[in-house]
Amino acid sequence: MDNRITLVGNYGRMLRETQTSSNDYLIKQLPVSTVFVDKKFKIIHASDKWITDFDFINRDVIGLSLSELFGDISISWKKDLNRIIKGKALLSGVENFYDSQNNEKWFEWVNVPWYDEQENIIGVIIKTKDITDTIFDDVKLEKLEVLLKGKSKTSKIGGWEYDAVKDKLSWCKVTKKLHEVPEDFEPDLESGINFYKEGYSRNTIAMAVDIAMTKGLAWNETLNLITANGKEISVIATGKPVFKNEKFLGLIGTFQDITDEVLIKAKTEEQERIFSSIFNSSYQFTGILDTEGTFLEINDTALKFSDLKQEDIINKKFWDAYWWPIPDMVKEGLKEVVAAAAQGEFMRSEIVVIDKNKQPIPVDFSLKPIYNEDGQVVSLLAEGRMIKEMVEARQKLKISEKKFRSLYELSPIAYILSDFETGEILDCNSSFENATAYGKEDLANLRYSDLLPDSSKHKLINFLKEVDLKGTYGPFEHKFRKKDGTTYPVLISGSLVGNKKGRKLLWSTAQDISEVRKKEKQIRDEQKLLKTLIDNLPLNVYIKDLQSRKVLVNKAELNYCGFKDESEVLGKNDFDFYDKESAIISREEDLSVINSLKPILGKETISVKKDGSLTRFMSSKIPLIGPDGKASGLIGISMDISDLKQKEEELRDLINVTSIQNKQLINFAHIVSHNLRSHTANFSMLLEFLVDEKDEKEQDNLIKMLTEASDNLLETLDNLNEVVAISTNVNLDKKPVNLNEKIVAAEKNLGAFLKKNNAKIINKIPDDTFIKVIPAYIDSILMNFITNSVKYKDDSRDPVIKLSVSKKTHYTVLSIEDNGLGIDLNKYGEKLFGMYKTFHDNSDARGIGLYITKNQVEAMNGKIMACSEVGKGTTFNIYFNDKN
Amino acid sequence: MTKIKSIAIIDDDPITVFGIKRMLSTLNVCENIKSYVNGKEAIDDFKSLMNHKAEIPEVIFLDINMPIMDGWQFLEEFITLPITHKIRINILTSSIDPADRENWKYYMTKTHHIIDYKNKPIQKKEIEEITRAA
Repeated sequence: MDNRITLVGNYGRMLRETQTSSNDYLIKQLPVSTVFVDKKFKIIHASDKWITDFDFINRDVIGLSLSELFGDISISWKKDLNRIIKGKALLSGVENFYDSQNNEKWFEWVNVPWYDEQENIIGVIIKTKDITDTIFDDVKLEKLEVLLKGKSKTSKIGGWEYDAVKDKLSWCKVTKKLHEVPEDFEPDLESGINFYKEGYSRNTIAMAVDIAMTKGLAWNETLNLITANGKEISVIATGKPVFKNEKFLGLIGTFQDITDEVLIKAKTEEQERIFSSIFNSSYQFTGILDTEGTFLEINDTALKFSDLKQEDIINKKFWDAYWWPIPDMVKEGLKEVVAAAAQGEFMRSEIVVIDKNKQPIPVDFSLKPIYNEDGQVVSLLAEGRMIKEMVEARQKLKISEKKFRSLYELSPIAYILSDFETGEILDCNSSFENATAYGKEDLANLRYSDLLPDSSKHKLINFLKEVDLKGTYGPFEHKFRKKDGTTYPVLISGSLVGNKKGRKLLWSTAQDISEVRKKEKQIRDEQKLLKTLIDNLPLNVYIKDLQSRKVLVNKAELNYCGFKDESEVLGKNDFDFYDKESAIISREEDLSVINSLKPILGKETISVKKDGSLTRFMSSKIPLIGPDGKASGLIGISMDISDLKQKEEELRDLINVTSIQNKQLINFAHIVSHNLRSHTANFSMLLEFLVDEKDEKEQDNLIKMLTEASDNLLETLDNLNEVVAISTNVNLDKKPVNLNEKIVAAEKNLGAFLKKNNAKIINKIPDDTFIKVIPAYIDSILMNFITNSVKYKDDSRDPVIKLSVSKKTHYTVLSIEDNGLGIDLNKYGEKLFGMYKTFHDNSDARGIGLYITKNQVEAMNGKIMACSEVGKGTTFNIYFNDKN
Repeated sequence: MTKIKSIAIIDDDPITVFGIKRMLSTLNVCENIKSYVNGKEAIDDFKSLMNHKAEIPEVIFLDINMPIMDGWQFLEEFITLPITHKIRINILTSSIDPADRENWKYYMTKTHHIIDYKNKPIQKKEIEEITRAA
């Protein structure tokens, strides 16, 4: 076989080469489009007609295979050609191809075996006939037919063709669009079928195609497609097989997108369903009437309301319905309403109908004409809305509006509604009118900015900015200008509201705070007054907290603490100012006040500061009780009573002195009266005796006694004079006197007396001792004491008198010590210096010396102290005051 | 009028003593009249009398202002003496000091003895009234 092929090949070449001149020419001239191919489908000869038909004019086709020329020749054609080569009889068919201009060409062919001289088949002679025009005519015809069949818009109909020969499916642009595939998409039969929705649609189309191919039947189905984008569309898919000479050439068909129609249909159905349910379940009564007023439809709500059935209403007249309360009266009116609505008027009013329980129910009733496409009234829509709730709600609304109104009007706060953009004032309440004296009639010419004083208008810009940004502004303290131009302080705030028309409105509130300001000022003034008052009190005032730290001090306390600035004292406690002991006492007082809530009032205290200075206070501590009933601190008020105390002491001393002096005076008076009386009593008694006495001798005796009594009286008067002299000479000036000089003088005066009694004076006083005394008194005092020492000497020994001085605070003390009898001071101490007190049996004791001496010493602000022991002696200490 | 066994005058003023003695002598109520110049002398004498079982004076004229021991000091000691019968004590003074009257009232409550209080000068009539045994 191979060998033969080789031979054939060689032969062929040979043939071509050798017989070109004869055979080739003949073949070229053939009027029929003819081509000779060898067993390998290589072209050996081709008629000019064939070359032209297949547009190979510019190509040297001889020697090329069919495959090379036509691309992949269809399987069926190859099969046919092979059968020819095997000696099978004449076969024909239709094929298509694309020429150099990519035009589709269709041709019909007839193949016959090519025998050589030995009757061997060496190839195939193919006769072709260009049937492109015929084919296209057919297709066009089919298409046209399909197109005419489609009722809808052309743009939604796409065509398709299936070339069974090439097994090629082609879609037109519209079809591709329907499938939502790109224009360069190349479908095949399988992928085409797969676009149909799985299930019914795909099964149907698959079967239809099969039937079309096998039985030649066309199809026309409404099916669903899933586009490349996954969208489901509904299409009317048609298809029709194309045969030529009994040969199945392919299929041709259309797609028509009817998705919208399907959707519209579905929508319509849905709408009907929805309408029906709305119609029936609506809370309002709904009925449809014809233009004559006959019921066509009535909803369930209306039926339920009146407890009626469809048949009770449908086809009955509107005005005959059960629910009209007084049929006769309203009938005509309703007829007119229906007639008016039928003329195209929209009727609406609030009426009362009767429910199934014969209860009147207010209803918002309307009758609306329904037009057809031509603008004619075809029916009437009757609607009734129960407005019981609405009426109630309206009532409530009215009440709350009234409430709001009264609040708005009665509020002490001014409300201003203004246009945000223009500043026009649209409304205000009476509070605003009262405060500014603007009336409603002024509003038209008033702008919000007019309310602000000129000096601060620039602030308005800031307000407005804030409002625009945040929707609200304030609260700010500001001033409003009244109608008369005066201003008053306000606290303003506001917020932006929009009305229905989109106009920006500004609600502003302005609270008149002049009273507040006034009160604040008043409080400030009062505080100032109080502060001034507290500061100028001649008392120390402070407030302490629970830890005894000072939180307020007045000037007096500040000065007492020794500071100039409050800050140096505030926050500190008593331990910072006082010595520890005083501070502890003060803290204990504080705690007692804080814990017991009982004030300490008028307590005399002594405070010692850190520098040791002592102050006496009359102090009070009063708890500050907080709202919880517990102490939050304490108020302290203390008065410096140091001076007062001193004066009090001085006064007390003075009173003591005075009362002593007074006592002395009374005592003196008694003594005087006693002494004078005793003498006068004696006179009286002796004189009485004398009157009755006859005996001369006895008379002389009585006269002698009278004389004695008279002498005694005179002596008593002398003594009294002496005492009175001391008391009246209190103001004699004191002079410094050398003590020893005075002692020497006294010794000299008493020289004889001392010598007689063998007395000895031992003087230990330094010569430079000076005392401040009244000179006459010191003479008397020294004489008296020295005399007494000798007078009351102990007879068993010679008198010795020791004199010495010592210094005590403010005093120079002269001590006179003797070795005399001594005196029982326990028995006689208080009477020692008394007048006419004598303690010894001495006949010359008068009981006046020490009394006078004591008076003289006291007159010089001095004092005398005595100590004595009976049998041993007495020491007198005489205190001479160094001051005046 | 019953005679009184013994009268004592305690006074440092000799004129007063003289006067009382003279009035008593004219009344002739008592032969035995003793006088003392101060309370100490009197109390010492009374104590010695009691020691000798002798009777002490039934009536005593007592001055207040005296040296060494005054009338009150005397009374203070006298009321402590164990004398069961009542003695009449006539305080005779020229003092008008209310304190002295207070003292008198005080001693009246302190003793069972009768204490009287008279201001000098004293009249003969008064002496008669107060010179009787208690």
